[in-house]
This record gives sequence, C-alpha cells and structure tokens, in this order.
Amino acid sequence: MAALESESRQSYLVFACGSSWYAVPAEAAAEVVTFPELTRVPGSPPHLLGVFAHRGEVIPVVDMSLLVGGVTAGSRRAVLVRLPRGTLALTASSVAGVSPVQGPLEPLGPTGVHVHLRGPGKSGSRDVAVIDPEGLFDHLSQGA
Amino acid sequence: MSPARVEGTLLCHVGRHRLAFAASDVASIAAPDAACVSARGAFRESPSVQRVLVTATGEAVGVDGLEIDAEVLSVLPPSPLVAHASGGSLRGFVLTRGVLWPLVHLDGFERYLRGLGGDGEGA
Repeated sequence: MAALESESRQSYLVFACGSSWYAVPAEAAAEVVTFPELTRVPGSPPHLLGVFAHRGEVIPVVDMSLLVGGVTAGSRRAVLVRLPRGTLALTASSVAGVSPVQGPLEPLGPTGVHVHLRGPGKSGSRDVAVIDPEGLFDHLSQGA
Repeated sequence: MSPARVEGTLLCHVGRHRLAFAASDVASIAAPDAACVSARGAFRESPSVQRVLVTATGEAVGVDGLEIDAEVLSVLPPSPLVAHASGGSLRGFVLTRGVLWPLVHLDGFERYLRGLGGDGEGA
C-alpha cells in the first residue's frame, strides 16, 4: 500500500503513441521535440526508426507502438527521455501534459518489453501504461 | 578525451539510406560481381549493387552509389541502443551534408551481411 501511495504522488508526462497512452516519470522527460529527417541505422529493428543529432548527441528514436507489436504511429514528435547512460526519443502522436498516475502499476507481462510497462494505470479518464525508463533502456540496449 | 575523428570518408547511398566507411578501410572500388553482398540487406531491402568497396583482405560490400569526402570529420559515438547494430560493426556517426551517416567498419559489416544469409547477396 505504501508503494501505491508513493507512486500516486509521482508526476508523469503522459503521451499517446498511436491508440495507446503512456506515461514516463516527469524527472526523466527532458523535452518534447519535433525531429528532423532520421538516419536509419543498418541492422536495427523496425521499432528503432532511426537517429538524429540534437545538441551534439545522436539520439535514437523508438516507436512504442511498433515495439509492442502495433502499427507505426507515424509521428514526427517525440518525448526525449534523458537517463544517466543516454537519451532516447519516444514518438508521441499527442502529449497530454504532466499529471499523477493512479493504479497498482504492476508489470504488464512476464517477458519482453511488457516487463518494463506497468499498469493498469489511470491518468484522469485515460488508461495509461507507465514506462520504467531504465528498464526500457536496458531492454533496448540488448538489441531488442 | 578528444572525440574520434576520421580523415577521408566514402559516403554511400544504399536505397533510401546512407552509410559511411573510412577511406582507410577501402583498398579498392570495383565493379559488381555475383559474389559480393549488397549493403541493402542491412535495411531489409532487395539487393542491388552498382559499386563494390573492397578491403585489403578481400571483404567486399556493394552499394548503390558513393561520394568521396576528404574532410576530417568527428565521429559521434553511438547510443548504447544502437551500439550492437550490424553485428557490432557500427563505429558511430559522422555529420556532413547536413545529415548523419552511420560509419561502419567495412570488414565487420561484410561479415554481418554474410551472416544474414542469402537476402543481401548478389549483384
């Protein structure tokens, strides 16, 4: 119960990718950008759309919708998630803003990327999946 | 620590995509033959080869077209998310012509393409 109350006090940036809503801890969400033409990385998986240069850093762009097995959101906007080991951009078709997320926030699955998505969560009336950014970064760094 | 640099780069076009190789990796540029592998395989595209880059030890990768850039370019390090792409042959990225180009080791990239199987082979 204490964990739940702690989660409910945390603020998240809530955004949509395709038809699904996601939330990342607000302290990890650096900014929302419109990215330029991407450079595709040879040998990369389809959910890794490409990279772009931003303030001297090469930032990979990940389509969450493709990552969870859906169709591409086709957006040119992204949420930059800044972590100690690097930055990644998560495509966003819509950004709702910063708000708390309520719910038990258990892993949405036992394997794959779903281990790093937590729910069921509610942000206002929206159903959201909370992204564990460090876990997602690890998962993607392993070539997933 | 000063950033890595590359002096002399082959900027290659591979379908809609871009690739760069250090000029020091390339011993010769040849016409296509049936034995070379197409760089398009790394982008899940049908093979097509117009020019072939060959290392001193005989590894050969085919591309659609190329430009030679004599400038010294900084090599931007790859994110951990892409560091293992192309079998670890990705060195980083160079920024020139206003866009990023993935810089790969020619020999390691050829081994990666051969490891993909038949998809990338043939001119």
